[in-house]
Amino acid sequence: MGKLKVYADRMSQPSRAVLIFCRISGIDFEEIKVDISKGQHLSPDFTEVNPLQKVPAIVHGSLKLFESHAILVYLASAFTGIADHWYPTELSRRAKINSVMDWHHSNLRNGAVNYVINTTLAPALGRQLNPKAATEAENVLLSSLKTLEDIWLNGDGGFLCNGIQPSLADLSMVCELMQLEVLDERDRSRILSPYKKVLQWIENTRTATNPHFEEVHNILYRAKKKFEQQRARTAETRTGPSNKVDEHLDSICVIWMQSQDKVVLTEGNLCKRQENLTADTHQRKK
Amino acid sequence: MLKVKVYADRMSQPSRAVLIFCKVNGIEFDEIKVEISKRQQLSPEFADINPFKKLPAIVDGRFKLFESHAILIYLASAFPGIPDHWYPADLSRRARVHSVLDWHHLNLRHGAAPFVLHTVLAPVLGLPLNPQAAAEAEKILISSLSKLENIWLKGNGRYLLGGLRPSIADLSLVCEIMQLELLDEKDQERILGPHKKVQQWIESTRDATRPHFDEVHKVLYKVKEIIRAKKSNQGDGVMQSRTKTPLASKM
Repeated sequence: MGKLKVYADRMSQPSRAVLIFCRISGIDFEEIKVDISKGQHLSPDFTEVNPLQKVPAIVHGSLKLFESHAILVYLASAFTGIADHWYPTELSRRAKINSVMDWHHSNLRNGAVNYVINTTLAPALGRQLNPKAATEAENVLLSSLKTLEDIWLNGDGGFLCNGIQPSLADLSMVCELMQLEVLDERDRSRILSPYKKVLQWIENTRTATNPHFEEVHNILYRAKKKFEQQRARTAETRTGPSNKVDEHLDSICVIWMQSQDKVVLTEGNLCKRQENLTADTHQRKK
Repeated sequence: MLKVKVYADRMSQPSRAVLIFCKVNGIEFDEIKVEISKRQQLSPEFADINPFKKLPAIVDGRFKLFESHAILIYLASAFPGIPDHWYPADLSRRARVHSVLDWHHLNLRHGAAPFVLHTVLAPVLGLPLNPQAAAEAEKILISSLSKLENIWLKGNGRYLLGGLRPSIADLSLVCEIMQLELLDEKDQERILGPHKKVQQWIESTRDATRPHFDEVHKVLYKVKEIIRAKKSNQGDGVMQSRTKTPLASKM
């Protein structure tokens, strides 16, 4: 069987989870960068790998697979020597981990992604905020954080479902929460600081998977700095994007929009913008 | 050995998937009805079973579990004699089943459930209609059906992922689509009509799980009749109780 290929964009939360898992578990693989900001996920080559044109995706022998939870579960099962705590063989423990990964889609992921888009990305690009969408997303995000704090992190384990070591679910969801790093510091603090167990859990997961966790998140920290600079510039000058740094931020905006069907369909202004950017990308490629 | 307890409301799509799976596979269980229309899922007793107060949920001995996909996987793995096609032992095939189950949450379910709720079910539950939410949900629903038709149902088999026999993914997603039975004929035709493979797939899944599929869906068909009757009596302005009037099922 050929070497495992992981198609990833490190700006994508689920991509990061898969990369970190491979690294920490010593899985031999080739990382193939798919730069969403350059529209590479729309290429015919990548569409062959994943007809839904999303990252992450893997190719392992004749298997082509997408959806990060399915990928994580496959890797934990198909490779030898993976520590049991990632995806326990004991059925009831495994079922609990499956249940929190299921819960994640419509809750934490849905809230976090839409909140970041509707607060940070829109203003950073000098565009109209959609306060209604931001509020709805914030409600979902806060509700999810409360649920994590009160239910999923109940107990002294330090990880989800009272685990004493991390599972695939911990990795997936902490990578999701890391996306909040790009928010304004005060906003991020306001949102996260009431949730002590959540904050501890993020640290626990980071510690358990370092140095890979930090290394894979480097690109996100760089993006965070750029957003901070942009916010500072916007505050001073009150003008919109006009230079190279801003174009890069523009591209980052495209990443999140294109990866979220829901947002693309419901955010009128952003939707139009995304269509223009996609058209530009195709134009450049010709 | 204690029987598995399945907490379900047959009006809930994921509840139906779990019930049908148990019946088709001869899993001994107790069905405990939790009626959402009577807000029984909000009781302290049920919150003890599932702190999220959602259906379905199961109790197996002292083990409590919720989220229908996690439940289906658990049952398929924990009980002996379940045919392999439901949840294949082969890791690659299994992984593909996982991928469509994952996709489902923010696609088909995310479109179908709110669309039905905001168009026809809301009045039955005493909630106001929300045309904007309905429009957004419809976009997601149609996009999902198109992906099912063109991507997930590609291949020689009649089931998802080119399968020749149904998996838990087929059962879960078809039960979700069945909720569209509540829509009026025109809407159903408009939304489902263009998707021939999807329609065939629904029939195949129903066929493969007879007679349990129709039996478990009976209450849905009853509510469909009530909604139709209410529409043709429009002008009353009074909401009828959904359980009082016995109606002959068309099935």
